[in-house]
Amino acid sequence: MFVLGMRAPEIAASVRAGQFVNLGWAGGPLLRRPFSVYRAEGDVIEVVLKAVGVGTAQLLSMEPGDIVSCLGPLGRGFEISGSHVALISGGLGVAPMPLAARDAIAAGARVTWIHGARTADELCAEADGDEVVWATDDGSRGFHGTAVAAAPDVDLVLACGPNRMLAAAAERWPDAQVAVETYMGCGTGVCLGCAVPLARGGYDRACKEGPVYRAADIKWSMLPANLHYVA
Amino acid sequence: MIVDMSIAVGGVRLRGPVMAASGTFGYGTEVPLLERRAVGAMVSKGIFLRPREGTPPPRIAETPSGMLNAIGLQGPGADALVRDYAPKWATWDFPVLVNINGESAAEYGELTARLDGVPGIAGFEINISCPNVEQGGLYFGNDPRAAAAVTEAVRRRTKLPVWVKLTPMVGDIGVIARAVEGAGADALCAINTFVGMSIDLNAYKPRLSFRTGGLSGPAIRPLAVHLAHQAARAVRIPVVGIGGISRAEDALEFLVAGCSAVQVGTATFVNPCAIAEVHDGIESFLHARGFKSLADLPRHLPRD
Repeated sequence: MFVLGMRAPEIAASVRAGQFVNLGWAGGPLLRRPFSVYRAEGDVIEVVLKAVGVGTAQLLSMEPGDIVSCLGPLGRGFEISGSHVALISGGLGVAPMPLAARDAIAAGARVTWIHGARTADELCAEADGDEVVWATDDGSRGFHGTAVAAAPDVDLVLACGPNRMLAAAAERWPDAQVAVETYMGCGTGVCLGCAVPLARGGYDRACKEGPVYRAADIKWSMLPANLHYVA
Repeated sequence: MIVDMSIAVGGVRLRGPVMAASGTFGYGTEVPLLERRAVGAMVSKGIFLRPREGTPPPRIAETPSGMLNAIGLQGPGADALVRDYAPKWATWDFPVLVNINGESAAEYGELTARLDGVPGIAGFEINISCPNVEQGGLYFGNDPRAAAAVTEAVRRRTKLPVWVKLTPMVGDIGVIARAVEGAGADALCAINTFVGMSIDLNAYKPRLSFRTGGLSGPAIRPLAVHLAHQAARAVRIPVVGIGGISRAEDALEFLVAGCSAVQVGTATFVNPCAIAEVHDGIESFLHARGFKSLADLPRHLPRD
Protein backbone atom coordinates (compact mmCIF):
# COMPACT_ATOMS: atom_id res chain seq x y z
CA MET A 1 0.00 0.00 0.00
CA PHE A 2 1.31 3.42 -1.01
CA VAL A 3 0.35 6.90 0.07
CA LEU A 4 0.33 9.74 -2.45
CA GLY A 5 0.17 13.34 -1.23
CA MET A 6 -1.12 16.25 -3.29
CA ARG A 7 -1.21 19.95 -2.57
CA ALA A 8 -4.91 20.81 -2.85
CA PRO A 9 -5.72 23.47 -0.24
CA GLU A 10 -9.43 23.92 -1.02
CA ILE A 11 -10.09 20.19 -0.93
CA ALA A 12 -7.97 19.70 2.19
CA ALA A 13 -9.96 22.37 3.99
CA SER A 14 -13.40 21.08 3.09
CA VAL A 15 -13.20 17.30 2.62
CA ARG A 16 -15.29 15.08 4.87
CA ALA A 17 -14.56 11.49 5.79
CA GLY A 18 -15.84 9.16 3.06
CA GLN A 19 -15.67 11.73 0.26
CA PHE A 20 -13.41 11.11 -2.71
CA VAL A 21 -11.40 12.84 -5.40
CA ASN A 22 -11.35 11.86 -9.07
CA LEU A 23 -7.82 11.93 -10.42
CA GLY A 24 -6.59 12.35 -13.97
CA TRP A 25 -3.04 12.73 -15.19
CA ALA A 26 -1.16 13.24 -18.44
CA GLY A 27 -0.52 9.94 -20.19
CA GLY A 28 -2.93 8.17 -17.87
CA PRO A 29 -6.09 6.21 -18.66
CA LEU A 30 -8.94 7.94 -20.49
CA LEU A 31 -11.26 8.14 -17.49
CA ARG A 32 -10.35 9.61 -14.14
CA ARG A 33 -9.87 7.23 -11.22
CA PRO A 34 -11.69 7.75 -7.93
CA PHE A 35 -9.80 7.66 -4.62
CA SER A 36 -11.15 8.19 -1.10
CA VAL A 37 -9.30 10.94 0.68
CA TYR A 38 -7.07 9.24 3.23
CA ARG A 39 -5.76 12.19 5.22
CA ALA A 40 -6.00 15.95 4.96
CA GLU A 41 -3.52 18.14 6.75
CA GLY A 42 -2.79 21.78 6.01
CA ASP A 43 -2.74 22.19 2.24
CA VAL A 44 -2.17 18.52 1.49
CA ILE A 45 -4.51 15.63 0.85
CA GLU A 46 -3.42 12.02 0.66
CA VAL A 47 -4.82 8.99 -1.13
CA VAL A 48 -3.79 5.35 -0.82
CA LEU A 49 -3.21 2.97 -3.66
CA LYS A 50 -1.92 -0.46 -4.53
CA ALA A 51 0.24 -1.07 -7.58
CA VAL A 52 -2.31 -3.04 -9.57
CA GLY A 53 -1.95 -1.76 -13.10
CA VAL A 54 -0.39 0.64 -15.55
CA GLY A 55 -2.28 3.65 -14.18
CA THR A 56 -1.30 3.14 -10.57
CA ALA A 57 2.29 2.49 -11.66
CA GLN A 58 2.23 5.87 -13.41
CA LEU A 59 0.95 7.56 -10.26
CA LEU A 60 3.61 5.85 -8.16
CA SER A 61 6.41 6.96 -10.47
CA MET A 62 5.51 10.62 -10.08
CA GLU A 63 8.04 13.03 -8.68
CA PRO A 64 7.47 15.95 -6.31
CA GLY A 65 6.18 18.86 -8.40
CA ASP A 66 4.36 16.69 -10.95
CA ILE A 67 0.79 17.72 -11.66
CA VAL A 68 -2.33 15.66 -11.15
CA SER A 69 -5.78 16.95 -12.03
CA CYS A 70 -7.83 16.49 -8.91
CA LEU A 71 -11.62 16.91 -8.97
CA GLY A 72 -13.28 17.04 -5.59
CA PRO A 73 -14.27 16.65 -2.90
CA LEU A 74 -16.99 14.49 -4.43
CA GLY A 75 -19.83 12.41 -3.03
CA ARG A 76 -21.48 12.25 0.34
CA GLY A 77 -19.38 11.20 3.31
CA PHE A 78 -20.06 9.55 6.67
CA GLU A 79 -22.48 11.08 9.18
CA ILE A 80 -20.76 10.61 12.51
CA SER A 81 -22.63 10.40 15.81
CA GLY A 82 -22.72 8.25 18.96
CA SER A 83 -20.34 7.67 21.81
CA HIS A 84 -18.58 4.55 20.50
CA VAL A 85 -17.74 4.24 16.80
CA ALA A 86 -16.26 1.17 15.10
CA LEU A 87 -14.29 1.62 11.87
CA ILE A 88 -14.14 -1.59 9.86
CA SER A 89 -11.75 -1.68 6.95
CA GLY A 90 -10.80 -4.43 4.55
CA GLY A 91 -7.73 -4.11 2.34
CA LEU A 92 -7.69 -0.71 0.63
CA GLY A 93 -10.91 0.07 2.52
CA VAL A 94 -8.64 1.76 5.05
CA ALA A 95 -8.77 4.76 2.74
CA PRO A 96 -11.56 6.82 4.35
CA MET A 97 -10.84 5.70 7.94
CA PRO A 98 -8.19 8.14 9.21
CA LEU A 99 -10.55 11.04 8.46
CA ALA A 100 -13.44 9.11 10.01
CA ALA A 101 -11.33 8.55 13.15
CA ARG A 102 -10.40 12.23 13.20
CA ASP A 103 -14.01 13.34 12.98
CA ALA A 104 -15.28 10.76 15.49
CA ILE A 105 -12.61 11.70 18.01
CA ALA A 106 -13.39 15.38 17.47
CA ALA A 107 -17.05 14.57 18.19
CA GLY A 108 -16.01 13.02 21.50
CA ALA A 109 -16.58 9.37 20.53
CA ARG A 110 -14.51 6.38 21.53
CA VAL A 111 -13.05 4.84 18.35
CA THR A 112 -12.30 1.18 17.71
CA TRP A 113 -10.64 0.44 14.38
CA ILE A 114 -10.82 -3.10 13.02
CA HIS A 115 -8.38 -3.75 10.21
CA GLY A 116 -8.94 -6.79 8.03
CA ALA A 117 -6.94 -8.32 5.20
CA ARG A 118 -6.28 -11.73 3.70
CA THR A 119 -2.82 -11.99 5.25
CA ALA A 120 -0.61 -10.03 7.64
CA ASP A 121 1.42 -8.79 4.63
CA GLU A 122 -1.65 -7.08 3.18
CA LEU A 123 -2.66 -5.38 6.42
CA CYS A 124 -2.35 -1.64 6.56
CA ALA A 125 0.30 -0.77 9.15
CA GLU A 126 -1.25 2.54 10.17
CA ALA A 127 -3.85 2.86 12.86
CA ASP A 128 -5.69 5.51 14.74
CA GLY A 129 -8.27 5.56 17.51
CA ASP A 130 -8.48 4.31 21.08
CA GLU A 131 -8.36 0.64 20.27
CA VAL A 132 -7.09 -1.29 17.26
CA VAL A 133 -8.07 -4.84 16.30
CA TRP A 134 -6.27 -6.77 13.58
CA ALA A 135 -7.98 -9.57 11.64
CA THR A 136 -6.60 -11.80 8.91
CA ASP A 137 -8.37 -14.46 6.86
CA ASP A 138 -5.41 -16.84 7.32
CA GLY A 139 -4.81 -16.01 10.99
CA SER A 140 -1.30 -14.72 10.33
CA ARG A 141 -1.99 -11.69 12.53
CA GLY A 142 -4.58 -10.95 15.17
CA PHE A 143 -8.09 -12.37 14.95
CA HIS A 144 -8.36 -15.41 12.64
CA GLY A 145 -11.33 -14.46 10.45
CA THR A 146 -12.99 -11.49 8.92
CA ALA A 147 -12.95 -7.92 10.20
CA VAL A 148 -16.74 -8.03 10.43
CA ALA A 149 -16.58 -11.07 12.74
CA ALA A 150 -13.86 -9.43 14.84
CA ALA A 151 -15.80 -6.22 15.48
CA PRO A 152 -17.57 -5.39 18.72
CA ASP A 153 -21.14 -4.13 18.80
CA VAL A 154 -21.10 -0.35 19.11
CA ASP A 155 -23.33 2.68 18.51
CA LEU A 156 -22.17 3.29 14.98
CA VAL A 157 -20.34 1.12 12.47
CA LEU A 158 -18.53 2.69 9.51
CA ALA A 159 -17.20 0.19 6.98
CA CYS A 160 -15.22 0.26 3.76
CA GLY A 161 -13.70 -2.59 1.78
CA PRO A 162 -14.62 -5.17 -0.83
CA ASN A 163 -18.35 -5.26 -1.49
CA ARG A 164 -18.64 -8.82 -0.18
CA MET A 165 -17.27 -7.64 3.17
CA LEU A 166 -19.77 -4.78 3.20
CA ALA A 167 -22.59 -7.22 2.41
CA ALA A 168 -21.55 -9.23 5.49
CA ALA A 169 -21.52 -6.02 7.54
CA ALA A 170 -25.03 -5.25 6.28
CA GLU A 171 -26.24 -8.61 7.60
CA ARG A 172 -24.94 -7.87 11.07
CA TRP A 173 -25.58 -4.11 11.28
CA PRO A 174 -28.35 -2.91 8.91
CA ASP A 175 -27.73 0.66 10.06
CA ALA A 176 -23.99 0.61 9.43
CA GLN A 177 -22.70 3.27 7.07
CA VAL A 178 -20.74 1.67 4.27
CA ALA A 179 -18.64 3.27 1.53
CA VAL A 180 -19.17 1.16 -1.60
CA GLU A 181 -16.84 0.50 -4.48
CA THR A 182 -18.10 0.87 -8.07
CA TYR A 183 -16.68 1.53 -11.48
CA MET A 184 -17.00 5.21 -12.08
CA GLY A 185 -17.18 7.39 -15.17
CA CYS A 186 -17.46 11.10 -14.54
CA GLY A 187 -17.64 11.21 -10.72
CA THR A 188 -19.95 14.21 -10.99
CA GLY A 189 -23.39 12.64 -11.41
CA VAL A 190 -24.00 12.90 -15.13
CA CYS A 191 -22.97 9.59 -16.69
CA LEU A 192 -24.97 7.21 -14.44
CA GLY A 193 -22.15 4.69 -14.80
CA CYS A 194 -21.66 4.12 -11.07
CA ALA A 195 -25.15 2.74 -10.48
CA VAL A 196 -25.79 1.31 -7.03
CA PRO A 197 -28.78 -1.09 -6.86
CA LEU A 198 -31.14 -0.18 -4.04
CA ALA A 199 -33.17 -2.50 -1.82
CA ARG A 200 -36.29 -0.47 -2.57
CA GLY A 201 -35.71 -0.90 -6.31
CA GLY A 202 -33.94 1.17 -8.91
CA TYR A 203 -30.48 2.64 -8.80
CA ASP A 204 -28.74 5.74 -7.73
CA ARG A 205 -25.26 7.10 -8.15
CA ALA A 206 -22.29 6.20 -5.98
CA CYS A 207 -20.68 9.51 -6.94
CA LYS A 208 -23.62 11.71 -5.85
CA GLU A 209 -25.98 10.00 -3.40
CA GLY A 210 -23.05 7.80 -2.24
CA PRO A 211 -20.46 6.48 -1.95
CA VAL A 212 -21.64 6.17 1.68
CA TYR A 213 -24.92 4.33 2.18
CA ARG A 214 -26.94 2.85 5.00
CA ALA A 215 -25.94 -0.80 4.64
CA ALA A 216 -29.48 -2.20 4.48
CA ASP A 217 -30.45 0.22 1.68
CA ILE A 218 -28.29 -1.57 -0.87
CA LYS A 219 -29.36 -4.62 -2.85
CA TRP A 220 -26.07 -6.45 -2.33
CA SER A 221 -26.85 -9.40 -4.60
CA MET A 222 -26.79 -7.05 -7.59
CA LEU A 223 -23.59 -5.21 -6.76
CA PRO A 224 -20.42 -6.73 -8.22
CA ALA A 225 -18.57 -8.43 -5.34
CA ASN A 226 -15.23 -6.98 -6.30
CA LEU A 227 -13.83 -4.90 -9.11
CA HIS A 228 -11.03 -5.57 -11.54
CA TYR A 229 -9.42 -2.36 -12.61
CA VAL A 230 -7.32 -2.40 -15.73
CA ALA A 231 -5.47 0.63 -14.41
CA MET B 1 -10.02 38.20 -30.87
CA ILE B 2 -13.38 38.77 -32.51
CA VAL B 3 -14.68 35.80 -34.43
CA ASP B 4 -18.42 35.35 -34.87
CA MET B 5 -18.90 31.81 -33.60
CA SER B 6 -22.69 31.77 -33.90
CA ILE B 7 -24.39 29.42 -36.30
CA ALA B 8 -27.88 28.20 -37.15
CA VAL B 9 -28.34 24.45 -37.23
CA GLY B 10 -31.59 22.83 -38.27
CA GLY B 11 -33.78 25.62 -36.96
CA VAL B 12 -31.80 26.26 -33.77
CA ARG B 13 -29.68 29.39 -33.35
CA LEU B 14 -26.46 28.60 -31.47
CA ARG B 15 -23.98 31.03 -29.95
CA GLY B 16 -21.23 28.54 -30.78
CA PRO B 17 -20.86 25.26 -32.62
CA VAL B 18 -20.01 23.07 -29.63
CA MET B 19 -22.88 21.29 -27.89
CA ALA B 20 -23.16 18.88 -25.01
CA ALA B 21 -24.01 15.38 -26.25
CA SER B 22 -26.92 13.50 -24.78
CA GLY B 23 -26.11 11.43 -21.71
CA THR B 24 -22.89 13.26 -20.95
CA PHE B 25 -24.25 16.43 -19.36
CA GLY B 26 -27.19 14.89 -17.46
CA TYR B 27 -30.02 17.40 -17.38
CA GLY B 28 -27.47 20.16 -17.01
CA THR B 29 -28.40 20.73 -13.38
CA GLU B 30 -26.16 18.21 -11.64
CA VAL B 31 -22.79 19.82 -11.49
CA PRO B 32 -21.67 23.36 -10.81
CA LEU B 33 -18.25 22.17 -11.95
CA LEU B 34 -19.39 21.90 -15.56
CA GLU B 35 -18.25 24.95 -17.49
CA ARG B 36 -21.25 26.37 -19.36
CA ARG B 37 -19.80 29.62 -20.71
CA ALA B 38 -19.39 28.36 -24.26
CA VAL B 39 -22.05 25.66 -24.46
CA GLY B 40 -23.78 26.11 -27.82
CA ALA B 41 -26.68 23.90 -26.78
CA MET B 42 -27.31 20.96 -24.52
CA VAL B 43 -28.97 17.74 -25.56
CA SER B 44 -30.45 16.30 -22.40
CA LYS B 45 -30.09 12.72 -21.25
CA GLY B 46 -32.30 10.43 -23.35
CA ILE B 47 -35.83 10.18 -22.04
CA PHE B 48 -38.74 7.81 -22.50
CA LEU B 49 -42.38 8.65 -21.92
CA ARG B 50 -42.33 6.60 -18.72
CA PRO B 51 -39.61 6.23 -16.05
CA ARG B 52 -36.93 3.61 -16.69
CA GLU B 53 -34.65 1.93 -14.19
CA GLY B 54 -31.73 1.31 -16.49
CA THR B 55 -29.42 -1.70 -16.54
CA PRO B 56 -27.75 -3.43 -13.57
CA PRO B 57 -24.08 -2.70 -12.84
CA PRO B 58 -21.41 -2.90 -14.10
CA ARG B 59 -22.55 -0.30 -16.62
CA ILE B 60 -19.23 1.03 -17.85
CA ALA B 61 -15.85 -0.38 -18.77
CA GLU B 62 -12.81 1.48 -19.98
CA THR B 63 -11.18 0.21 -23.16
CA PRO B 64 -8.15 1.52 -25.05
CA SER B 65 -8.82 5.25 -25.67
CA GLY B 66 -12.51 4.71 -25.09
CA MET B 67 -15.25 3.46 -22.88
CA LEU B 68 -18.15 1.07 -23.20
CA ASN B 69 -21.41 2.00 -21.57
CA ALA B 70 -24.72 0.29 -21.10
CA ILE B 71 -26.78 2.62 -18.92
CA GLY B 72 -30.04 1.50 -20.50
CA LEU B 73 -31.53 5.00 -20.71
CA GLN B 74 -32.24 5.26 -17.00
CA GLY B 75 -34.52 8.24 -16.55
CA PRO B 76 -37.44 9.73 -14.68
CA GLY B 77 -39.90 9.90 -17.60
CA ALA B 78 -41.52 12.81 -19.41
CA ASP B 79 -43.66 14.15 -16.57
CA ALA B 80 -40.70 14.51 -14.21
CA LEU B 81 -38.63 16.11 -16.96
CA VAL B 82 -41.35 18.70 -17.58
CA ARG B 83 -41.79 19.34 -13.86
CA ASP B 84 -38.19 19.26 -12.58
CA TYR B 85 -35.91 20.32 -15.43
CA ALA B 86 -37.67 22.25 -18.20
CA PRO B 87 -38.47 25.25 -15.95
CA LYS B 88 -34.74 25.59 -15.21
CA TRP B 89 -33.82 25.29 -18.89
CA ALA B 90 -36.25 28.08 -19.72
CA THR B 91 -34.03 30.51 -17.81
CA TRP B 92 -30.73 29.46 -19.42
CA ASP B 93 -28.77 31.37 -22.03
CA PHE B 94 -28.40 28.37 -24.37
CA PRO B 95 -31.08 26.15 -25.92
CA VAL B 96 -31.85 22.65 -24.68
CA LEU B 97 -32.93 19.87 -26.99
CA VAL B 98 -34.48 16.74 -25.53
CA ASN B 99 -33.21 13.35 -26.69
CA ILE B 100 -36.38 11.31 -27.14
CA ASN B 101 -36.84 7.55 -27.17
CA GLY B 102 -39.61 5.05 -27.66
CA GLU B 103 -40.41 1.42 -28.28
CA SER B 104 -42.65 2.21 -31.25
CA ALA B 105 -43.19 5.07 -33.67
CA ALA B 106 -46.46 5.82 -31.89
CA GLU B 107 -44.66 6.10 -28.54
CA TYR B 108 -42.13 8.55 -30.00
CA GLY B 109 -45.09 10.59 -31.25
CA GLU B 110 -46.85 10.49 -27.90
CA LEU B 111 -43.69 11.61 -26.09
CA THR B 112 -43.23 14.47 -28.57
CA ALA B 113 -46.80 15.63 -28.02
CA ARG B 114 -46.23 15.60 -24.25
CA LEU B 115 -43.09 17.76 -24.55
CA ASP B 116 -44.09 20.05 -27.41
CA GLY B 117 -44.66 23.62 -26.32
CA VAL B 118 -43.18 23.15 -22.85
CA PRO B 119 -41.14 26.28 -22.06
CA GLY B 120 -37.45 25.41 -21.89
CA ILE B 121 -37.57 22.79 -24.64
CA ALA B 122 -36.09 24.20 -27.85
CA GLY B 123 -36.25 21.07 -29.99
CA PHE B 124 -35.90 17.33 -30.19
CA GLU B 125 -33.13 14.91 -30.98
CA ILE B 126 -34.70 11.60 -31.97
CA ASN B 127 -32.63 8.71 -30.69
CA ILE B 128 -32.92 5.87 -33.18
CA SER B 129 -29.52 4.60 -32.26
CA CYS B 130 -29.28 3.54 -28.62
CA PRO B 131 -27.59 0.13 -28.49
CA ASN B 132 -28.62 -0.51 -24.89
CA VAL B 133 -32.37 -1.00 -24.93
CA GLU B 134 -34.11 -4.26 -25.73
CA GLN B 135 -36.96 -2.64 -27.63
CA GLY B 136 -36.57 0.16 -30.13
CA GLY B 137 -33.24 1.93 -30.23
CA LEU B 138 -31.05 0.42 -32.89
CA TYR B 139 -33.95 -1.32 -34.57
CA PHE B 140 -35.27 2.00 -35.83
CA GLY B 141 -31.82 3.21 -36.73
CA ASN B 142 -30.78 0.60 -39.26
CA ASP B 143 -33.95 0.27 -41.25
CA PRO B 144 -34.70 3.25 -43.51
CA ARG B 145 -38.48 2.73 -43.41
CA ALA B 146 -38.57 2.42 -39.62
CA ALA B 147 -36.28 5.43 -39.25
CA ALA B 148 -38.53 7.47 -41.52
CA ALA B 149 -41.67 6.30 -39.71
CA VAL B 150 -40.30 7.45 -36.34
CA THR B 151 -39.18 10.77 -37.79
CA GLU B 152 -42.64 11.33 -39.33
CA ALA B 153 -44.37 10.42 -36.08
CA VAL B 154 -42.34 13.09 -34.27
CA ARG B 155 -42.57 15.62 -37.11
CA ARG B 156 -46.37 15.45 -37.11
CA ARG B 157 -46.53 16.38 -33.40
CA THR B 158 -44.28 19.42 -33.31
CA LYS B 159 -43.19 22.52 -35.16
CA LEU B 160 -39.99 22.69 -33.11
CA PRO B 161 -36.72 21.63 -34.71
CA VAL B 162 -36.38 17.86 -35.08
CA TRP B 163 -32.92 16.35 -35.29
CA VAL B 164 -32.25 12.64 -35.74
CA LYS B 165 -29.27 10.92 -34.12
CA LEU B 166 -27.97 8.17 -36.36
CA THR B 167 -26.32 4.90 -35.48
CA PRO B 168 -22.99 3.93 -37.01
CA MET B 169 -24.12 0.29 -37.06
CA VAL B 170 -25.41 0.40 -40.63
CA GLY B 171 -24.23 -0.69 -44.05
CA ASP B 172 -24.75 2.70 -45.68
CA ILE B 173 -25.42 5.67 -43.43
CA GLY B 174 -26.40 7.72 -46.49
CA VAL B 175 -29.50 5.57 -47.00
CA ILE B 176 -30.76 6.23 -43.46
CA ALA B 177 -29.74 9.88 -43.67
CA ARG B 178 -31.80 10.42 -46.84
CA ALA B 179 -34.75 8.51 -45.40
CA VAL B 180 -35.03 10.72 -42.32
CA GLU B 181 -34.37 13.87 -44.35
CA GLY B 182 -37.29 12.88 -46.54
CA ALA B 183 -39.42 12.32 -43.46
CA GLY B 184 -38.95 15.90 -42.33
CA ALA B 185 -35.84 16.00 -40.14
CA ASP B 186 -34.25 19.44 -39.76
CA ALA B 187 -30.78 18.11 -39.01
CA LEU B 188 -28.87 14.88 -38.44
CA CYS B 189 -26.50 14.00 -35.64
CA ALA B 190 -23.79 11.56 -36.65
CA ILE B 191 -23.00 9.38 -34.88
CA ASN B 192 -24.10 7.55 -31.73
CA THR B 193 -21.88 4.90 -30.12
CA PHE B 194 -20.64 1.74 -31.80
CA VAL B 195 -21.75 -1.57 -30.29
CA GLY B 196 -18.83 -3.20 -28.54
CA MET B 197 -17.96 -5.91 -26.06
CA SER B 198 -15.18 -6.47 -23.57
CA ILE B 199 -14.60 -9.67 -21.65
CA ASP B 200 -13.34 -10.18 -18.11
CA LEU B 201 -11.02 -13.17 -18.38
CA ASN B 202 -11.04 -13.78 -14.62
CA ALA B 203 -14.81 -13.96 -14.39
CA TYR B 204 -15.14 -15.52 -17.85
CA LYS B 205 -17.98 -13.19 -18.75
CA PRO B 206 -18.57 -9.82 -20.38
CA ARG B 207 -17.41 -6.82 -18.33
CA LEU B 208 -20.83 -5.18 -18.70
CA SER B 209 -23.90 -6.78 -17.21
CA PHE B 210 -25.80 -5.97 -20.43
CA ARG B 211 -23.02 -7.95 -22.19
CA THR B 212 -22.58 -5.33 -24.92
CA GLY B 213 -22.33 -1.57 -24.70
CA GLY B 214 -21.83 1.57 -26.72
CA LEU B 215 -18.22 2.47 -27.47
CA SER B 216 -17.34 6.16 -27.26
CA GLY B 217 -14.24 8.27 -26.83
CA PRO B 218 -11.18 9.01 -28.98
CA ALA B 219 -11.08 5.37 -30.12
CA ILE B 220 -14.04 5.96 -32.46
CA ARG B 221 -13.13 9.39 -33.82
CA PRO B 222 -11.77 8.47 -37.27
CA LEU B 223 -14.74 6.15 -37.79
CA ALA B 224 -17.10 8.93 -36.74
CA VAL B 225 -15.48 11.56 -38.97
CA HIS B 226 -15.88 9.23 -41.92
CA LEU B 227 -19.54 8.45 -41.19
CA ALA B 228 -20.42 12.09 -40.50
CA HIS B 229 -18.74 12.98 -43.78
CA GLN B 230 -20.75 10.34 -45.63
CA ALA B 231 -23.98 11.54 -44.01
CA ALA B 232 -23.20 15.16 -44.87
CA ARG B 233 -22.62 14.26 -48.50
CA ALA B 234 -25.92 12.37 -48.66
CA VAL B 235 -28.27 15.15 -47.52
CA ARG B 236 -28.92 18.88 -47.79
CA ILE B 237 -29.89 19.37 -44.13
CA PRO B 238 -27.12 20.17 -41.63
CA VAL B 239 -25.17 17.40 -39.93
CA VAL B 240 -23.92 17.64 -36.36
CA GLY B 241 -20.69 15.69 -35.90
CA ILE B 242 -20.24 13.49 -32.84
CA GLY B 243 -17.65 10.92 -31.85
CA GLY B 244 -14.56 11.14 -29.72
CA ILE B 245 -14.11 14.91 -29.76
CA SER B 246 -11.94 16.16 -26.92
CA ARG B 247 -9.92 18.96 -28.51
CA ALA B 248 -10.61 21.78 -30.97
CA GLU B 249 -8.67 19.99 -33.70
CA ASP B 250 -10.98 17.00 -33.37
CA ALA B 251 -14.05 19.22 -33.76
CA LEU B 252 -12.50 21.01 -36.73
CA GLU B 253 -12.05 17.69 -38.50
CA PHE B 254 -15.80 17.15 -38.34
CA LEU B 255 -16.50 20.71 -39.51
CA VAL B 256 -14.14 20.45 -42.44
CA ALA B 257 -15.64 17.06 -43.27
CA GLY B 258 -18.97 18.79 -43.81
CA CYS B 259 -20.60 19.15 -40.39
CA SER B 260 -22.26 22.38 -39.27
CA ALA B 261 -21.61 21.89 -35.59
CA VAL B 262 -20.41 19.25 -33.15
CA GLN B 263 -21.30 17.59 -29.87
CA VAL B 264 -18.78 16.77 -27.18
CA GLY B 265 -19.59 13.78 -24.99
CA THR B 266 -17.19 11.43 -23.25
CA ALA B 267 -14.57 14.18 -22.99
CA THR B 268 -16.82 16.03 -20.53
CA PHE B 269 -16.59 13.07 -18.14
CA VAL B 270 -12.85 13.55 -17.99
CA ASN B 271 -12.69 17.32 -18.26
CA PRO B 272 -15.70 19.36 -17.10
CA CYS B 273 -14.34 22.30 -19.14
CA ALA B 274 -13.98 20.31 -22.38
CA ILE B 275 -16.77 22.11 -24.26
CA ALA B 276 -15.38 25.55 -23.44
CA GLU B 277 -11.86 24.50 -24.39
CA VAL B 278 -13.01 23.06 -27.72
CA HIS B 279 -14.99 26.24 -28.41
CA ASP B 280 -12.03 28.49 -27.59
CA GLY B 281 -9.68 26.36 -29.68
CA ILE B 282 -11.94 26.61 -32.73
CA GLU B 283 -12.10 30.35 -32.27
CA SER B 284 -8.30 30.59 -32.09
CA PHE B 285 -7.95 28.44 -35.18
CA LEU B 286 -10.35 30.63 -37.16
CA HIS B 287 -8.70 33.81 -35.92
CA ALA B 288 -5.21 32.59 -36.78
CA ARG B 289 -6.34 31.88 -40.34
CA GLY B 290 -8.04 35.23 -40.77
CA PHE B 291 -11.66 34.05 -40.68
CA LYS B 292 -14.10 36.63 -39.32
CA SER B 293 -16.76 34.07 -38.62
CA LEU B 294 -17.29 30.35 -38.30
CA ALA B 295 -19.64 30.56 -41.27
CA ASP B 296 -16.64 31.52 -43.45
CA LEU B 297 -14.84 28.22 -42.79
CA PRO B 298 -15.15 26.05 -45.90
CA ARG B 299 -16.96 22.97 -44.69
CA HIS B 300 -16.17 20.56 -47.45
CA LEU B 301 -13.15 18.68 -48.62
CA PRO B 302 -11.71 19.39 -52.05
CA ARG B 303 -12.59 16.70 -54.57
CA ASP B 304 -9.77 14.36 -55.42
